[in-house]
Amino acid sequence: MERGDFSLVRAEFGMSNKVVPGAPYSAQAVTEFSQTMADGNRIQRTTTGSIARDSQGRTRAERSFGAIGALSAQRGAGKTVMIFDPVASKSYVLEPESRTARSTPIPAAHSNEAAHAHEGPPRNMASAKTDDLGTQVMQGVNVQGKRVTRVIPAGKEGNEKEIDIVTETWYSPDLQVVVMSKTSDPRFGETVYQLSGLNRAEPDPALFAVPSDYSVKEGRPMGPMMRRGPAAQ
Amino acid sequence: MNENDRELLEGLRALAADGPREAPGHIEERLKTEFRRQRRRRSLLTWFPAFSVAAAAGIALLVWIRSETPRPAPASAVAAVAHAVDPVAEEDSDGFYPLREAEALPAVENAMVVRVQLPVSSLQLMGVPVGDERADVNVQAELLLGQDGLARGVRLVE
Repeated sequence: MERGDFSLVRAEFGMSNKVVPGAPYSAQAVTEFSQTMADGNRIQRTTTGSIARDSQGRTRAERSFGAIGALSAQRGAGKTVMIFDPVASKSYVLEPESRTARSTPIPAAHSNEAAHAHEGPPRNMASAKTDDLGTQVMQGVNVQGKRVTRVIPAGKEGNEKEIDIVTETWYSPDLQVVVMSKTSDPRFGETVYQLSGLNRAEPDPALFAVPSDYSVKEGRPMGPMMRRGPAAQ
Repeated sequence: MNENDRELLEGLRALAADGPREAPGHIEERLKTEFRRQRRRRSLLTWFPAFSVAAAAGIALLVWIRSETPRPAPASAVAAVAHAVDPVAEEDSDGFYPLREAEALPAVENAMVVRVQLPVSSLQLMGVPVGDERADVNVQAELLLGQDGLARGVRLVE
């Protein structure tokens, strides 16, 4: 078995934080993670996936799990498909290898919960400064940019000097999605997330339905999402 | 000492020589009881502002400790994980413990929850505050991933 930091047992369920009807699109999603060690050694990982949304606000996300941030998977990159269908109030996880779909009801109370989990300043950061980066066109859509710089004061985490954590985000108001983001955190490394091949045509409706040859099982309820804690954004 | 003072002094001596003059027993007891009650009340009134300030300071200190102090280092790695990330039953799942490494990541638009098996050392890599003991012990955990595939939260499932 290839050595790694984790092994995927299964995907449980997926969810979207908001339903956005009338703004269909599809795109590839690429995340590049890099971290430079104290001895100059460097960890680099790239994960890819795809995302699509139809005019009704249903979303589909496909992702392989070769890595999660700095962690690498022990086995080959398993692919998982998540369908979030607010029209039918169902969330599905498709497992292509076993031709199985797990269905989970979407509780109304969960809307926006995961996003709100990252609101408010982290308790260890004294301040956050936001710079407006203006607007530009990325992947054929207008995006608004902002740079948020958070500072961990010297001594707060045993650090001799203050630590600057910078997050740059380019957001499409039309699609209501982040088209590109770049996060630089000296403690954990740098992450770049970017949509590519963005297409605003209506995606194939079949992408948002469980294939007929899949067996559907009931998944477990979603339960609560994030606790209040030291998260950010 | 003038003439008046001398008269007063002699009068007092005569009064003293006349014998003891005490209040009846039941009056003395009531006076003592009332004296003790008044003294206790005065004492409380005197210390009440100090108690209030001390209590407020104590509450503020507790709040500050709860918000600022990192969790104490537990005895074992597994205990440390359990301390930082409460184990949950599937039927009674608790919320995810937010990860420090996700503090600056963009807000989640699409989330996916995956179950993984990983050693305690991997949780350390993710910023979960666990000790080095038994870092190779495997645990099962659920990760809350954002649209970028990066973990925002974690919770133990065993």
